[in-house]
Amino acid sequence: MPEGRGALSATGADDAKLIERIRRGDTDGAAELFERYGTAILRFATRMLSDAGAAEEVMQEVFLKVIGRCHQYDGRAAVNSWLFAIAANACRDRRRRDRRAVVVPLEAAPEPIARGEAAEMRMIDRERRDAVRKALASLSEEQREALILARYHGLPYAEIARVLGISVGAVKTRIFRAVETLKSRFAEGDTQWNAAN
Amino acid sequence: MECRELTERVMDRLTGEAEASPEMEAHLARCSACREELSRLERAWETLGEDPDAEVSPTLREDTLALLEEEMIRRRIREFRPGRSLRPRRGLLQAAAIVAAVAGGYLAARLGVKGTPASSAGSSPVAAAAVLPDLSAQPRLSNVAYTPADAQGRIGISFDLTDRRQYVARPEDPEMARLMAYLLARNPDTPAEKSRAIQQVSESYGGGTLAEPSPEIVRALTTTLRKDTNPGVRKKAADALAGLPVTAESRAAFLEALRADSNPAVRLVAVEVLARAAREAPDARTIESLRERAVDPRENGFVRAKAASALQGINF
Repeated sequence: MPEGRGALSATGADDAKLIERIRRGDTDGAAELFERYGTAILRFATRMLSDAGAAEEVMQEVFLKVIGRCHQYDGRAAVNSWLFAIAANACRDRRRRDRRAVVVPLEAAPEPIARGEAAEMRMIDRERRDAVRKALASLSEEQREALILARYHGLPYAEIARVLGISVGAVKTRIFRAVETLKSRFAEGDTQWNAAN
Repeated sequence: MECRELTERVMDRLTGEAEASPEMEAHLARCSACREELSRLERAWETLGEDPDAEVSPTLREDTLALLEEEMIRRRIREFRPGRSLRPRRGLLQAAAIVAAVAGGYLAARLGVKGTPASSAGSSPVAAAAVLPDLSAQPRLSNVAYTPADAQGRIGISFDLTDRRQYVARPEDPEMARLMAYLLARNPDTPAEKSRAIQQVSESYGGGTLAEPSPEIVRALTTTLRKDTNPGVRKKAADALAGLPVTAESRAAFLEALRADSNPAVRLVAVEVLARAAREAPDARTIESLRERAVDPRENGFVRAKAASALQGINF
């Protein structure tokens, strides 16, 4: 589910104070920032990398970088945008380092073996989840970044533009092309699924 | 409104950038192709929601918080630059050295071990069982005296129980180690007795001697450093521990002493030992403790200077 437009910006002033606390060497400030945004950054990295282990490492890397770079934060962008920008760069670096992560979709978590209708429904759910992950992985890196920020994190175009360092027009184009691609893929999937049943 | 324009509006609506407008609704009402397109786009958008959200597991959370804490300490240390006022001044350090030497000489004269080497003390080595009482019963051993090592490296410890006894053995002898730990931890009634026991431990195990102190002895010394109410005795225990290899237990005791011991001489020894340990194996907590001492304006000038100087010698 998207994290909600405005939910993050409402805490903007608090976030800036957290960064100030980290600057002053307050460890609790760093912990609080992690508690606030750790999950969001993990989800972003998981969808960008399609690799749970790599995503966890990137998430940690992001917060370590925040500690190292807190003096560079100038307050012009919201803290969450700044975090996503660091995360997007970290994901790109990670993918460059580990090419395998580009195309390997996430393995769904193992599930208990069940029988009957429940098992069948679970299998369908799992197949659909895998289909979504594969579809996301098939997008270009640029499209995926913009789409994930919009769809799962509820960031407005202007915020996404700041995170990715591109124009609002480019953001709209990327998201639109991404959804166009997915629309076709999901339609194909539905056809195949319906044909198979 | 044209069909091309509608697609863009639909995307704006899906992303929450815009609300549906009457103009858009009117177009949809009359254009079946756009209605179908709208339905496909909405379905694709909804389908994306079937990808489950990742969660931060408790282990990942714990690991990350520990990592961040460590990094914060590292950053503070990296940014730490001792100011001019914190650098040790040659004159002051020389004065401190003189004071320490005089005090050391006085203590040595007052507490030093007297007596002849064990081999010439008139007693020959005897079996532990024949000499040593059951220490677990915590007997009071009075008039304890220590005899320096003989040519074979054996030391002697004499004491009164119901009669005068002497046990002679090398320091690494397990019974000798037990006896020394007992004399350190359980037996002393006065600070002087305790100081003499510590002195003997230092001579037997510290300063490059080959004998390794037993864990019991290290524990007795660290307990003394932590808990003894006499500041001189704590200093003596700190000195003795400083001459021994640093263990996790002694490092923890020195960290505590550096933070909380009221005797600056104890804190000074703690700085020396911790700095040496950190040079060999850098440890964030140790370095952070040294940094805190180096920048604390309430800290004794010598301790601050020593901590600042120690930090400069650590490659972290």
